[in-house]
Amino acid sequence: MIFKDYYFIPIILFSLSYAVLYIKKNNPYNSFIFLIYFTFIIQSLIVIAGLNKYHFTMIIPIDLMIFFNSWILMLIVILFELLYKAKYIVIYATPIVIAALLISYFAPSMDINAILKVDSWLLIAHIVLILTGDSLFTLAFILSLIYILQERKLKLKKNLKIINDGNKNSSGKNEGRLFNFRRNFNYFNLGKGYNLELLDNMNYQCLKLGFPALTAGIVIGIYLSSALFKSVSSVKPIEIISLITWLIYAILLHERVAKGLRGNKAAMLSIAGFIMIILTVGFSLYLFPEFHGLK
Amino acid sequence: MEIIITGLNHKSSDIFHREEVSKKILTKELRGEFIFNIKRLFFEETGKQLIQESAIISTCNRAEFIFVVSGNSSGGSKNNDYVLVIKNIIIKYLFGDNLANEELQNMFYTYKNFEAILHFFKVASSLDSMIIGEPQILGQIKESYNEACEFKNTGLILNKLFHKSFYCAKRVRTETKIAAAPVSVSYAAVELAKKIFNDISNKKVLLLGTGEMGKIAAKHFIKQGVSEIFITNRTREKAVRLAEELDGYDSKTIIDFNEYYKILTVADIVLCSTGADSYIIKYEDIQPIIKMRKQRPIFLIDISVPRNIDPEINKISNVYLFDIDDIGKIIENNLDVRQQEADFAEKIINEEAEDFMNWKNSLNAVPIIVNLRNKVNGILSAELCKYINNKDENIEAIVNSITNKILHEPITKIKRAEVDFNGLNLMEAAKILFDLEINLNGMSQENKDVEKETTKVKNAGDAITGGNAPNNVNDGCYYNNKIVQLNNNKNNKAK
Repeated sequence: MIFKDYYFIPIILFSLSYAVLYIKKNNPYNSFIFLIYFTFIIQSLIVIAGLNKYHFTMIIPIDLMIFFNSWILMLIVILFELLYKAKYIVIYATPIVIAALLISYFAPSMDINAILKVDSWLLIAHIVLILTGDSLFTLAFILSLIYILQERKLKLKKNLKIINDGNKNSSGKNEGRLFNFRRNFNYFNLGKGYNLELLDNMNYQCLKLGFPALTAGIVIGIYLSSALFKSVSSVKPIEIISLITWLIYAILLHERVAKGLRGNKAAMLSIAGFIMIILTVGFSLYLFPEFHGLK
Repeated sequence: MEIIITGLNHKSSDIFHREEVSKKILTKELRGEFIFNIKRLFFEETGKQLIQESAIISTCNRAEFIFVVSGNSSGGSKNNDYVLVIKNIIIKYLFGDNLANEELQNMFYTYKNFEAILHFFKVASSLDSMIIGEPQILGQIKESYNEACEFKNTGLILNKLFHKSFYCAKRVRTETKIAAAPVSVSYAAVELAKKIFNDISNKKVLLLGTGEMGKIAAKHFIKQGVSEIFITNRTREKAVRLAEELDGYDSKTIIDFNEYYKILTVADIVLCSTGADSYIIKYEDIQPIIKMRKQRPIFLIDISVPRNIDPEINKISNVYLFDIDDIGKIIENNLDVRQQEADFAEKIINEEAEDFMNWKNSLNAVPIIVNLRNKVNGILSAELCKYINNKDENIEAIVNSITNKILHEPITKIKRAEVDFNGLNLMEAAKILFDLEINLNGMSQENKDVEKETTKVKNAGDAITGGNAPNNVNDGCYYNNKIVQLNNNKNNKAK
């Protein structure tokens, strides 16, 4: 059994927790969150084991990197969930974690060879900061999507639930699981904290934390890259695309602070930023790996 | 006598048309004028003045017009025409010559007799309301009744109908749990606010106008612990009075009506329920305010009809506007909890409506009874005068006493047959047997002569109907008085 096979355990367990959420009749959320936490612990153990294998140098294969990224995302999601008591984030964010896990499992293994001996701490800082920033923006993306959908509902005044009938016991026991799924789903629509202001606040919080992390990560990256290629002046594609991404978030932050931009437009910008992040990751890891010091 | 109800409500029409209607009957004067004109138009249309009693129920969700039209129930098709005539007159009066407009025709529902009674009881019991079980409607109906009394438009039938509806509503309220669940406009407003704001306790509320619904919603928000409430009204005294009502709550500020714009920059929730007939908060006014608020979301609830906030405002980002129709639709989608109770309540309403119908049907026998009594009375006094020469003062009393004795059984049976419909057409039989000629129109001519005689009885009738219910002094009061007289006798006997 190669190490990569362990990645499959959290995939199965996360998927299982959704099955529990849909099928279980009494307190589905409690069982769901218990399974999520449990899986997260396992995921953490795998991350530690994986990093340990490479002596925590962060010169690790790309699949482990993505696995590590999914772990950071899950950590942030759980922290936000606990901090803001917004149960639903876990439900909406975990699929992205699962997707990241699947990518890490199926991604072609690409070893990172340190072309140049760099300061190991700088590399670790670069990777952790960038991954944290990206994960925060991923969460911001999910929150923005929820915001836009929720705002649409409020503007169009359709499908607005104001009575919590999710707690009502279903009278017929043989009503099938689809019904149960819908009931549980409605329950989360009504969950505490499912409001525009909180969604926007969390989005802003992601931006406030993610932007410095991303900025610092990019600065360190540029420094590392210049050390790698012995020149600061030569502009590499990875730098251009990173700067575009950074610029989007910089504009967003500026507008928020200076003009109080919030709501729909902020959510849209967040989504645009996230698309740029995906592009950056694809660019840097697969299209021009050599510019990223990968081989 | 036919009871006819026509009107439109939140189910049959949209807010635009309700606004139109409500503007035309907004004030007491307009409503008085409305009734006067409808009667005039009816006379012009039919050549007869058959509208005996009338009342208008106008709330933000409905405008209903109740008429009692004199006529004979046997002429069914003719009366159907009256329903249409009244409906058309009202549409014509409210919307001009738009009669051909099918949409308008469909918007106005009409009910007659039993259906009308059933509908009216449903309305009073809040089964027909946008929010089933809400308590405001009964108060509004009571106000309408008081107004109709002031206009002297109510008579025997409407007095009884309104009182019965109050009783029915009370029964529904106490015997079912329809009012138990906390679903109302104010509840929905608070829940919607919770979808927009994270923490209501640091939000500020601006109450524009002191309309009943707005007042209740404001109280609901206070219960949820909003940080401050600003009250404003064109008539400052009303705002002061409302502030006094909220004596348990300290963070309230009364502001000048001209200065509420300044508050819009700080208030997060705006409740609007004024009686104005145009937009108070306009699209172009809100745009700069949102900039001044630094895009902080603002939640506007427009509970007034006609609307006081421009609906276009909802298109501005971070502004959430809900009018009464929107809230109603949301509530409707969320209401299946009360349906069971509503079924139970309908049974009660059916019982009461049947009871009322029986009473009303028994009135049909009155002309026969009156004529029968007159005839027997006449014969007796004529015959007695022949044989008793000395003019005894008690002769009238003797005649009345004998008439009562003779006719007691037949009259009871005629009345009961009219109620039970047991196949015995005793009214017809009585007509043939005693050769009675009942000419309803002729009767009303006769009324005027009898009117003077019946003033005494009328006073007694006032006492029975509660004293505060003025009787109709128009043509139709003849039967009313007679019925009151009969009831009076019955009561005296019972004593």
